[in-house]
Amino acid sequence: MRFGTMFSDIVSSLLRRPITELYPVERRATPDRLRGQLHWDWEACTGCSLCAKECPAQAVDLIVIDKKAKQFAMRYHTDRCIYCAQCVVNCRFGCLEMSSDEWELASANKDPFTVYYGDEANVEAALADRAD
Amino acid sequence: MTETEKFSIPIGPQHPALKEPEHFVFSVDGEMVTSASVRLGYAHRGIEKSTENRNWAQNLYLLERICGICSHTHALTYCLGVEKLAGVEIPPRANAIRTLVAEMERVHSHLLWLGVAAHEAGFDTLFMYSWRDRETIMDLLEQLTGNRVNYSANVLGGVKFDVDEELAGAILDGLDYLEKRTYHYLDVVTTDAAFLQRTRGVGVMSAERAERLGVVGPTARASSVARDVRIDAPYAGYDEYVPNLIGHTTGDLEARFEVRIKELFESYRLIREILATIPEGELTSRMPRRIKANEAFSRVEAPRGEVFYYLRSNGSDKPDRIKVRTPTLCNMASVLTLVIGQQLADIPMILVGVDPCFSCNDRMVAINRGGRSEEVWTWERLRQYGIDYYGGSH
Repeated sequence: MRFGTMFSDIVSSLLRRPITELYPVERRATPDRLRGQLHWDWEACTGCSLCAKECPAQAVDLIVIDKKAKQFAMRYHTDRCIYCAQCVVNCRFGCLEMSSDEWELASANKDPFTVYYGDEANVEAALADRAD
Repeated sequence: MTETEKFSIPIGPQHPALKEPEHFVFSVDGEMVTSASVRLGYAHRGIEKSTENRNWAQNLYLLERICGICSHTHALTYCLGVEKLAGVEIPPRANAIRTLVAEMERVHSHLLWLGVAAHEAGFDTLFMYSWRDRETIMDLLEQLTGNRVNYSANVLGGVKFDVDEELAGAILDGLDYLEKRTYHYLDVVTTDAAFLQRTRGVGVMSAERAERLGVVGPTARASSVARDVRIDAPYAGYDEYVPNLIGHTTGDLEARFEVRIKELFESYRLIREILATIPEGELTSRMPRRIKANEAFSRVEAPRGEVFYYLRSNGSDKPDRIKVRTPTLCNMASVLTLVIGQQLADIPMILVGVDPCFSCNDRMVAINRGGRSEEVWTWERLRQYGIDYYGGSH
C-alpha cells in the first residue's frame, strides 16, 4: 500500500510539451493506408458495377452511358461514403483508389459532397440526364 | 413511524455517470442499495432487421458498426459465420492477420476501459495517462488498416491488408513502450492506497454466482471461472497462437482490474508471436455472392467476453436472419445482483467493472400490449413507423 503512485508521471510531464497537437496549425503526416476520398480511373473501367452493387452506403453511382463504347461516368458522394474500401477490393481492374491525403472533406454547404468523375463529355451527359 | 419507507433513485437514461443511455432504478436504505432494476433498449438501432435488406458484403460494414470499440470483433464474428455458411476456407496468412488485429484491438479496448474505470473511481490522473498511451496502439492500428476505429480489415473470405517488415517493426517498437507502461499501471492499481479503497473487496462475485448468472469474459475470469472462447473453441488463428488463461480468485473489482491488465501482457506476447511466425500466402479466398439455404453460428472472444452470432441464409445474396448477442447482455445480470448491499457511491464502479457497452447490447424491444398477439413487421413498415414517429417528411 503506497500513496501517490502516479506522482512520478506528473513530475516528468511538467517539463514536457503537451502530447496533443495544434491542428490545424500542425498537420501530422497521414499513414499511406489511410482511406480518404475515392478516385476513379475511367480508362480501365469495364462497367461491371460491382463497386456500386456492394457499396454499403450507396455512395457510388456508376452511370452507364454506352456500355459497348465504354462510356461511363461516376457520381461519388463523399458525405455518404463510409471509407470502407469495399469498392476498391471489388474492382478487378484496379480503377479505384482511396487517397491517403484528401481526408479533410468537411464543408459548409452540400455541393462539394457530390463529385463527378469521368471524361468531360460523359460527365456532361450524366449531368444532363440528372437535370431531366 | 414503524415502517421504513423505500426510497428509489432513478439513474439515466441521461446521467453524468453513464456514458450511454440506460435506465436504472436503485432502492436505497440510507446509503445501502437494497434492490436494483434496469431498462434496456434506449439505443436500439434496428441493425438485425436492417441486415435482411442488404447483401452479405454490405452487412459486414453495418455489423462492424454495432460497436465502435470492438468493431473488428463484430466483423470477424460475422465473417467466420458467413464463411462457415458458404463452406469457404481462409488462407492461413489471413487468419494470422485477423488474429493480429483482434489482439491489437483488445489492447486498445482494455486500455480504454482502464481509463474509464479510473475516471469513475475519481482517479483522473490514471485516466489521462492510460489514454495517452492508448494512442500508441491507435496509431499502429491506423498504420496497419488505415483507420483508428472501424478498421474494415476484414473482407468476406479474408483480409484487406497485409503486414510488412516495416510495419511489424513499428508494432514491435510500440509494444515495447506499452509493455513498460502496462507494468507501471499494474503496479498502480494493485498498490495505490486511495485507489484500492474503491476496488478491494467491492462487488465481490463468487465463482458459483458467476456461473449461475452466465457471466462472460474478464468479469467471469476474475471470479475464477475458466471461460475464454479463444481457448475453449479456437477460431481464426487461435489454434496456433494459444493465449494463456488469465484468472483471479477474489472476484472483486481489484481482480477485474488485474485480470484485464494481465491480459494485456498476453496480447503483447501473442502479437509478437504472430509477427515472428506469420505464414506466407494469399490474403483472400473466393467467396460466392449467393449462399444456399443453411444456418450457422459463430463465437468470438471480444475484449468484454463472448460475442455470439447466429446466421441463416436462404439461397439469395441477402441473409434471412442474423441474431447477435453481445457480452454486456450476459454481464448485466451480475451488475444488478452485485450492487445489492453495496454503498450507493460504488454503483458506477461496479457497473464499469463489467466494461458495459450499451449500444451493442440493445438488440430488440418487446412491446407488451397486454395481449398475446404477435406480428412481424416488414422493413418498409418499420422504416415508415420510425419516420412517422419522429414527424419526418422523407
